[in-house]
Amino acid sequence: MKKILTGMLIAISTMGMVFAQGAGETASSGMTPKKTVLKLAVQADSTPATQSVIDAFNASQDTYTVQWVDMTNDSNAMREQLLTSLKSGSSDYDVLSMDVVWAGEFAASGYIEPLDVRMKNDGLKVSQFNAGSMASGSYNAKQYVLPFFPDLGVLFFRSDIVSTSDAEKLRSGNYTWQDLADMAAMYQGQGGTKDGFAFEAKLGEGLICTANEFTSNWKDLSGGLAIMKQLADSSVTPADTLNYAGGDVNNNFIKGNSVFSRNWPYQFGQIKVNGTISQDQVDIAPLPGGSTVGGWILGINAQSKHKDGAWQLIKFIATEKGQKLMSTNGGYLPGYNATLTDPEVLAANLLLSKEGFKNALKHTIARPVTPTYSKVSDEIQQSIHKYLSGSASLDDTVKAVQGDLAE
Amino acid sequence: MKKLNWKTSLFLLPLVIMLATFSFYPIISSFVYSFFDYQTNDQSIANLYTTNHFNAKLFYEDCDYLLFYIPDDAALVDEADRAQFENIMDSIRTNMAPYKDKDTVIRLNKADIARLKTFVRTTQNDLNTIYQNNTERQFYNKENNQLLLNEMKQCFITPNNVGFKNYQALVHDPRFWTSIKNTLVFTIISVFFEFLIGMGLALVMARAIKGIGSIRTAALIPWAIPTAVSALIWSYLYDGSSGIIAHIFAQIGLIASPQSMLLTAQGAMSAAILADIWKTAPYMALLLLAGLEVIDRGLYESASLDGCNKVQTFFKITFPLLKPSILVALLLRTLDAFRVYDLLAILTGGGPGGATETVSIYSYKVLVGQSNYGYGSAIIIGMFICVALIATIFVKILGTDISN
Repeated sequence: MKKILTGMLIAISTMGMVFAQGAGETASSGMTPKKTVLKLAVQADSTPATQSVIDAFNASQDTYTVQWVDMTNDSNAMREQLLTSLKSGSSDYDVLSMDVVWAGEFAASGYIEPLDVRMKNDGLKVSQFNAGSMASGSYNAKQYVLPFFPDLGVLFFRSDIVSTSDAEKLRSGNYTWQDLADMAAMYQGQGGTKDGFAFEAKLGEGLICTANEFTSNWKDLSGGLAIMKQLADSSVTPADTLNYAGGDVNNNFIKGNSVFSRNWPYQFGQIKVNGTISQDQVDIAPLPGGSTVGGWILGINAQSKHKDGAWQLIKFIATEKGQKLMSTNGGYLPGYNATLTDPEVLAANLLLSKEGFKNALKHTIARPVTPTYSKVSDEIQQSIHKYLSGSASLDDTVKAVQGDLAE
Repeated sequence: MKKLNWKTSLFLLPLVIMLATFSFYPIISSFVYSFFDYQTNDQSIANLYTTNHFNAKLFYEDCDYLLFYIPDDAALVDEADRAQFENIMDSIRTNMAPYKDKDTVIRLNKADIARLKTFVRTTQNDLNTIYQNNTERQFYNKENNQLLLNEMKQCFITPNNVGFKNYQALVHDPRFWTSIKNTLVFTIISVFFEFLIGMGLALVMARAIKGIGSIRTAALIPWAIPTAVSALIWSYLYDGSSGIIAHIFAQIGLIASPQSMLLTAQGAMSAAILADIWKTAPYMALLLLAGLEVIDRGLYESASLDGCNKVQTFFKITFPLLKPSILVALLLRTLDAFRVYDLLAILTGGGPGGATETVSIYSYKVLVGQSNYGYGSAIIIGMFICVALIATIFVKILGTDISN
């Protein structure tokens, strides 16, 4: 009995698999000519923006269709996956989305194509796009990328807790880190908050961005690092600040636990989606040391078999049509400068009309564009985290960081 | 001794092929890589070069870009200088023509290399002359052309075999020695405790009581869970703000505060060791259980007849007869613990300030994170030597024991 049952089970499942395979094939072979598939390697988007851009591109022409290759949300892991694939000369991806700090390495390794000739032929100029993103993708006089969406670190603060005069001072940008520390101590605990100021100090790239801002683009190393440690050690910041990544800062602020936080603009959108406070309780201010430029940029795989199609896709995403969709559907900052003043975009994206945000856009600082960025960043992260966790002195750390930057 | 005839060799063939592909080939490749300065983020050393080569693709691209940039500047100057720019552009067109469809790095003879080097130098000098003649003008691409010409100089690839330089750097690398120290601390402490707990567990599992089957299965569950999953579980348990284990330890007073479980050097190392012991003690128990089962029951009977108590029985009968199993178990576990990667990568990522960075994590960071395959391979060979040393020591001890 058992043998008969097992035999029937195997027979049914095999026949099922054979027929399912056949059915799938008959469904896809229609009368329409096959479109060339362009593979776009992008991380998952928590907003519908990226999908809307892809759909719009597919609808706008008949030659290409885009396949979104979902990459891991762990940026380090995504970079390693891309490098491994590109090193073996694969054409698995046509368009790559890269973090701003990877472009130097990818360009130096010869993995992405320079875009200047294509840009000129299509009437695009570097000045039409976000300066920070374009600078991050410019290596040895060649432009390798167009912006996907730029990002910059900003100060979020609770406008319902902070006094009007202090808020004005913050929005103008005319304040120092010490002023911020004092304000955080003063307002801590008011309005249901627990902490004064939340920022990222976990060992990782976020630490570099925050340190970049504290030290005014690495110019004031001893002052900036000292106040960073002072804040991290004090009770003004959460107890495990040294293990705080961007997501933790986000959680902390949108749940109303801190008065001030330093994070990327996506946090503003998160307030609406996941937060317990509301967006009109929050305002933006520029950071004393300048805002670190972040975000993602797009490049063409040098080994791609469909470079023309890849260029069409990048052009669509980075100019008017694509950037407008990204801004209105996802709240992303537009990388195409003309879109910054589009009334629909301004209406959909509250951040762009905020005075503090506009001031922040004026003072952006970039991280170094170098092929060995990963190594330099790793060394600086180690030095700074050691100092913040108390296992190294300030002088030694300053010397170490200066040495790493000189490389 | 039986002779190796062709039938026996045929049986061995699959094993030899597998060993060759998956063991010898990678080791030999790593060994070869370690003698080169092989980094993929620099096109002049992105491969193993023993002779002079030429990056034709990049050269053609840069020449193309010079032709793209010069006209904008040529429009700004007078007739004579414009003619000079034209001459330079013609020279560029002539020199780049042979490499139009070259997709990769090619080999080139000395004469051609010398000629091209002269071409680059002359172009640079000629351009500089024109720019210096017109210092009052704001040129668009003066710096750009300079950058392009510098990049063209990097197209001439020289051999990148550096002999033992990587190994010299390795010996003087403090981060490597710290990682070896961390690895040894992790290995010795975790294997020691795994052995003690495994021994106890094996003695319990060897008894013939009712329900021993389910006890054995339950004891093996930590071993069955994939390391990545259990590392994630432990990281939640140790979390500074919401981890239950960190909270309990802080309450008991084992650690100063819940955050210090993962945020201090000793805390992180202890956390990792604890997670590893939880995971692999059952594995040790299993290996030792196999050895326990083989011991003749009759010996225990005669021991109890002679009036031995439990402790004496253990040390005089069980332990000596178990020695081969113990040595095998210790050898396997030590080698495994020495090569630990996934547990630490997920739990601490190398730890606060590199305090739990083991050799595998360091080599991964250098190899994949920094694309430095030459130095990374040297680290791997260093690790290979350590592992071979450990294995040799254990085998020597095993060997003397068996022949006793």
